[in-house]
Amino acid sequence: MRLQIIILFRGTYRIFSLKVDELREEEEGKIWAIGGGKGGTGKTFLTSSIGIYLAKNGKRVLMIDVDIGGANLHSFLGINRPRKSLTNFFEMGIPLSKLAVNTGVDNLSLITGDVHSLASDSIKFTQKLKLFRHIMKLRRQYILIDLGGGSHNNTIDTFLMADKKIAVLEPEIIAIENMYHFVKNALYRKIKMSLRAYGFKEVVEHMWEQRERYKIKSLKELIDSLKESFSHLGDILDKELADFKIYLVLNKIRSSQDILIGSSMKSIFNKYLGINAQFAGYIEYDDAVWRSIRERRPLMVNYSLSRVAKEIGAFTENLLHEREMKVSRS
Amino acid sequence: MADKTLKRYFDVLEISPDASVLEIRNAYLLLKKLYSTDSVVISPIADEFSKKERREILLQVEEAFDKLMESLKNKQNEHNHRIRHQPSASVQAGEEDEDVSYSGPELKKIREKLSVPLFEVSLDTKIRMELLKSIEHEKFDALPPEVYLRGHLINYANYLMLNPKKVAGDYLARYRSWKEGKKGGS
Repeated sequence: MRLQIIILFRGTYRIFSLKVDELREEEEGKIWAIGGGKGGTGKTFLTSSIGIYLAKNGKRVLMIDVDIGGANLHSFLGINRPRKSLTNFFEMGIPLSKLAVNTGVDNLSLITGDVHSLASDSIKFTQKLKLFRHIMKLRRQYILIDLGGGSHNNTIDTFLMADKKIAVLEPEIIAIENMYHFVKNALYRKIKMSLRAYGFKEVVEHMWEQRERYKIKSLKELIDSLKESFSHLGDILDKELADFKIYLVLNKIRSSQDILIGSSMKSIFNKYLGINAQFAGYIEYDDAVWRSIRERRPLMVNYSLSRVAKEIGAFTENLLHEREMKVSRS
Repeated sequence: MADKTLKRYFDVLEISPDASVLEIRNAYLLLKKLYSTDSVVISPIADEFSKKERREILLQVEEAFDKLMESLKNKQNEHNHRIRHQPSASVQAGEEDEDVSYSGPELKKIREKLSVPLFEVSLDTKIRMELLKSIEHEKFDALPPEVYLRGHLINYANYLMLNPKKVAGDYLARYRSWKEGKKGGS
């Protein structure tokens, strides 16, 4: 059986034909993207830790580092920068499966990005589609994509492609601000893409570009006025919003009060933007993280009994079972 | 009340329909505080997320909490034939921390409003029943030294989803003034 995927872009379209049996042979084929907007919140550390946790629990995991700010996932695993990288895929057409290297942890492999090949605008739209297509074809149970910081379109599109969208933040205002920016950007692109099928992409773009004229102050108001002006879009938009499910992970908390920031962000995303946000869990600030990186030995391997390791295990389980963190009574 | 309506109220408070009374209260307090203050999570979007919108959310939250508490109380009355007489000027559950001074009777009132029996608190917090009783009745001479007492108060406050610092501070202030009085008297 073959599956045809039609991708529309700027008035032209492309048809990709995939054999279904080679697509996600191990069925689960879950693609998880880890992003969130701000750099330094611990995305790479969390990607490596989730990867190790899943691998240790018998899953076959591949991690792909597409951090444009500097791919360094290998350092978190205590290995040297692999010589093969996504550059070989883009420039020489070497298949992704040949680029994966062992990480020293059973069942866990890594494809590293390249600072230059993925630097913001240098990657073309078609290249991006090709990468997505090849990622989806990979035969791994879990594919973790470390997005790195920023809200660039390439980052956002990769985030949107993922089955599970994980957004990492830390309890401080800059990370919070950047996350709003990141999520709103992602939502805007998602809405634009989905309304393209109804011939409304230009309308959305026009309204957003001329937002002062239409007295639209925010993405939320854009959505509201779209619903108002084109009532038949109401259900479509509501569905798009509800389908936009993100998992929040709060890193580097220093007090129990900090945990409330996770619950609060979740609430605002749900009540204000109308999307489906879940608070998957938190990780305490711990020098062991920093120590393990310096010692070039992954925390999940060397400090597997630490609190941080347990917290990572707990929220990874939440992610696996699509459930929220339980706020425990102390 | 129809279950569907109740489900909606649970949704407003962002909790599952099997949430405990404490979870309901916890969710209510969090949301109330979140949408009524300019916190670090609101300020980055304060210009687009208007006060009016936030007020509307607050109203929904208030309504959901009131209705859920009401339905729970009704349920309890029906099933247990236990009608609790609420003190007429009872504390509104969820009142801002700043407005209340946490004394023993105050903690008791809050606990009763949540319909949690003392033994349940004791089981969950691992604080002895007798000690909890003494805390609530302010039998200060039966209480352990301040350092230990402080720990118990924080534990109990967390359990009731109250601000632990404030509870310990308020309560210990009363404890200390009793101690001072005793010294002066003897």
